[in-house]
Amino acid sequence: MPEAEAIRLAQQGDAAAFERLYRLHSRRVYSLCLRMVSNVSEAEDLTQEAFLQLFRKIATFRGESAFSTWLHRLAVNVVLMKLRKKSGNETSLEQVTEPDDESGGPRRDFGGPDLRLAGSIDRVNLQRAVEQLPPGYKTVFILHDVQGYEHNEIAEIMGCSIGNSKSQLHKARVRLRELLHEAIRAKAREERKAAGTASGSSGED
Amino acid sequence: MSSVGCNEFVAQMGSWMEGEREPAAQAHLAHCEACRSLAADIDAIQSAAPTLSVADPEPPARVWAALRAQLVQEGLIREALPPPKGERQPWLAALFTQLPRPALAGACLALLIAVGFGIRGPVSQWTSRAPAFPLSAQLDTAEQTTVSSFAGSNSAVSASLHQNLEIVDHYIALCEKSVRDEPQNDAAREYLYDAYQQKADLIDMITERGDSIQ
Repeated sequence: MPEAEAIRLAQQGDAAAFERLYRLHSRRVYSLCLRMVSNVSEAEDLTQEAFLQLFRKIATFRGESAFSTWLHRLAVNVVLMKLRKKSGNETSLEQVTEPDDESGGPRRDFGGPDLRLAGSIDRVNLQRAVEQLPPGYKTVFILHDVQGYEHNEIAEIMGCSIGNSKSQLHKARVRLRELLHEAIRAKAREERKAAGTASGSSGED
Repeated sequence: MSSVGCNEFVAQMGSWMEGEREPAAQAHLAHCEACRSLAADIDAIQSAAPTLSVADPEPPARVWAALRAQLVQEGLIREALPPPKGERQPWLAALFTQLPRPALAGACLALLIAVGFGIRGPVSQWTSRAPAFPLSAQLDTAEQTTVSSFAGSNSAVSASLHQNLEIVDHYIALCEKSVRDEPQNDAAREYLYDAYQQKADLIDMITERGDSIQ
């Protein structure tokens, strides 16, 4: 059943159409939720809540935007609301970034020529770094760089301007770079420490 | 050609990464090691990002089961049209195609037993349905055990648990009524087994959550 047909039938309450829409989009929505909250149970609840809101409102969908964009907007709102409740703050999307990144000037800790990320990024350390991003940065980074949405779609999903989406993405990448550098340095320190301990032990023998 | 400084280059990084390479920015990059390093790192991050979604899983079947039960409860979906043969949910299709009916019932019970429930007799709280459905009675018993295991736990969790079970029970009651009304209707029986499976999934999920809560 094509998506447009499933939407039309779902608007009439057809059970199979609801399921079809769920099957078409649940993986991406679940993936978004999982990356945003890094907790399987919470991601399941958020996925369910996003689709529930979608199906409650589906009769009002008129096709002004792509269905997946509309669904992702609902999902992002559900996730951000959850994160705000968790943090106890009623903050706007603009505020879920880091204050020192809003000062305007670029940071000068660009890293030296001896520390390049190329070749040293794997899924695990990148995922750990993404988990540490503020929610606003994280959302844009996941939507654009991981899930492949364009800035105009992200602007619609997040209710912001295209320029704001680009700006958030850039800041997210720069922050990720810092986090990855920190992780690499920490790993290097641990390895040196381990090597020192090993040589100390062998010296005692 | 006017040159740009580091601050200007960094401000233009978004456009640079999208392929808009102004000559002035290229000139700056040619002699600025710090900005070259920044651009290379951002490029590496951008290239690595799609790998995060490679192994993304499907949500577990219980998410759809709970969602569907909620939709039924809210009256958002119609129950009339049975799915055509061969277009059933994948997670159920496997059960239905690999197992005959009695085996399916056994599989549901095995699932319940496997998650650690004891069978301790009839349940008064949830037995408004006719006793003509033995699998239903077994599920009710498992449900009662689950509910009692939550006694004294977080009241909000307990309330949510009761609410979700009531939704699924309502769905099962509707399906059982359909089977009683039309005992020869295969679609009605399939819906009933679907409802039982949803309840088994829900109890399984509650048990998992309960382990993490308590």
